[in-house]
Amino acid sequence: MKYHILTLGCQMNMSDTERTKPVIEKMGYTWTDNEEEANLVGILACSVRQKAIDKVYSRIHKWNKLKNKKNLITFVTGCILPSDKDKFLKLFDIVFPMSELQELPEMISQYGIVTPVSLQSQNNSDTVFQNPRLQELKEKVASLKLNEHMSDFWHINPNYESDFEAFVPIQNGCDKFCTFCAVPYTRGREVSRPSTEIIEEVKLLVDGNYKSITLLGQNVNSYGLDKKGEEISFPELLRSIGEFGNSSGKEFWVYFTSPHPRDMTDEVIEVISQYDCLAKQIHLPIQSGDDKLLIKMNRKHSVEKYRHIVNTIRTLIPQATLFTDIIVGFTSETDEQFENTRKVMKEFNYNMAYIAQYSQRPGAVSSRWVDDVPVQTKKERFHTLTEDLKASSHSHNKDMVGKTFRVLVRGKERKGEFLSGLTEGRINVRIHASDETLIGQIVDVKISAAAEFSVAGDLVKIENLQEA
Amino acid sequence: MIIKLIFISEMQTITNNKYKVQSTRDLTDSTYVVRMNRYGMQFKAGQNLNLGLAGDTEKRDYSIYSGVHDDYLEILVKEVDEGMVSKKLKRLNTGDQLEVDGPFGFFTIKEEDIETKNFLFIASGTGLAPFHSIMRSHPELKYKVIHGIRYSSEAYEKSHYMDGKYVSCVSKDSKGDFNGRVTDYVKQYPVNKDTLIYLCGNVNMIYDVFDILKEQGVPSENLHAEVYF
Repeated sequence: MKYHILTLGCQMNMSDTERTKPVIEKMGYTWTDNEEEANLVGILACSVRQKAIDKVYSRIHKWNKLKNKKNLITFVTGCILPSDKDKFLKLFDIVFPMSELQELPEMISQYGIVTPVSLQSQNNSDTVFQNPRLQELKEKVASLKLNEHMSDFWHINPNYESDFEAFVPIQNGCDKFCTFCAVPYTRGREVSRPSTEIIEEVKLLVDGNYKSITLLGQNVNSYGLDKKGEEISFPELLRSIGEFGNSSGKEFWVYFTSPHPRDMTDEVIEVISQYDCLAKQIHLPIQSGDDKLLIKMNRKHSVEKYRHIVNTIRTLIPQATLFTDIIVGFTSETDEQFENTRKVMKEFNYNMAYIAQYSQRPGAVSSRWVDDVPVQTKKERFHTLTEDLKASSHSHNKDMVGKTFRVLVRGKERKGEFLSGLTEGRINVRIHASDETLIGQIVDVKISAAAEFSVAGDLVKIENLQEA
Repeated sequence: MIIKLIFISEMQTITNNKYKVQSTRDLTDSTYVVRMNRYGMQFKAGQNLNLGLAGDTEKRDYSIYSGVHDDYLEILVKEVDEGMVSKKLKRLNTGDQLEVDGPFGFFTIKEEDIETKNFLFIASGTGLAPFHSIMRSHPELKYKVIHGIRYSSEAYEKSHYMDGKYVSCVSKDSKGDFNGRVTDYVKQYPVNKDTLIYLCGNVNMIYDVFDILKEQGVPSENLHAEVYF
């Protein structure tokens, strides 16, 4: 018996997939890249954009046609809007919130030999579930609060996709309610994973020689706040990991994403500055450089607050790289407001920015507003801001030339013979070497050339370093 | 004012975030207060709840109207024509159950500012709710509320505020404390730059007041906004 999962969306879904796979494999299923030969197919859905939701519908219609030819069980989980959940219940055999992953084997086993459930009419499909236990489970899972059993989910040992890079979920859900985002409605409210489990997972990964570990959460730096004093705070969690890093004697880098500026305290930055294993790369989404637009986005911070954070980073961690997220063409964004975003782009001198043209996200508050910035204007703003980014990124990269950086070798370039990797600051590096045994190791690379979004350099041999 | 259905359950326990309705209180034809059991919920004045009828998938956020020392929870609701929740809440009876999540939100005042700062609260419509909660929670606060409404009848429970602390800015009749919009009031009575200013309500009001205050030199760190979407 084989299974296939389609993972849509962000790193959080990728991480969730790493925990879904072992649950299914424990039932005796084996992975296949070819969904057409699978007996069990599932989707980790994303509701950030309509396109991702359309993909779910497209896939399930295809799978339901396949049911004419073979026995097939379908499931969907991940980020699902309440309005889609009701529709999915009619199309998929199993719909469950990620927090109920542990129930999946029982639900699958209740099916036995599957009939083509979803090909039948809605009324007929309701009568197909003659197994009372299955029906009971479906009703139970469908009515659950999104994060009710998140702790059970976190107890599942993941199948990491990589041997040297891993995601560690530390928090799920969001309480911030940015108007452009539907996460609070698809993932539920913030729930923090026990710190003891997080630290234990980090230790296991480091013992296994993992080099890059990313702490994941929708609002990663509000970690612990939901526990109201019964859990350590985010900076305390980082400090614990930092202390472990110091005692481990190993070289590894710990990142976190995504943080919210509102919860980015000076203490977080101070802790990062104090421990080698806490990566000197900070991803701090600003979304807009205009205070009024930030209010409309319900971001709960001003440009001034953000400026304070950046100044603290520059003071305490001058070597840190700074990344951000920006939306252009948000509802009612004026030329003047966009120019304010250009100004902050220049002022904060980012190494990298993930710029998105605004599109309505189903379920988000802003989806009720008229998307009144013309597509052409969005494209122009996107292009303008990308050009601004290229300038700042290129300038940073040129400063790297002639210097030696520690680089995690991640693989071979898609085209060509050379290796590629990332610095601690997550700058892409083309390494003039082809020795694949270096993949997964941190090596010294002397940078010799800079492009807009990457650098290139030569491997520094150990003997060269010793001579130096 | 119509008071109906006052009944307090003896049983002060909570299961599955279900909160029992104690009463509803009409303030105008379309605006009313829902009072429910508190069950010891801890919150900060200015925070909000996410709620709807028990078993209903539709939920909405409402700022808490009651104070932190009250032994009940209250929310201020305006019935919206196409509202999926507000219309149902209007029909609540004593003993009905609400499904409540929270508290959430960051539209709160800092403890260290309570004794040392002057506060100006500017609201439109039911954006008054968090300020009512703050005022009830911190009676010692040095504050003034500027409330933008269309008709003077919408000056929700103005008697709850100390004399001179509440100013209704009425745009469609002449019975307000100030005849005109809040923007007119703020232009006419410029704000002290050291005052902490909290804006709550309609986004257009917040935008307009924001611009005026910036022109008056109020630093952005003294401005806090909660938009009702």
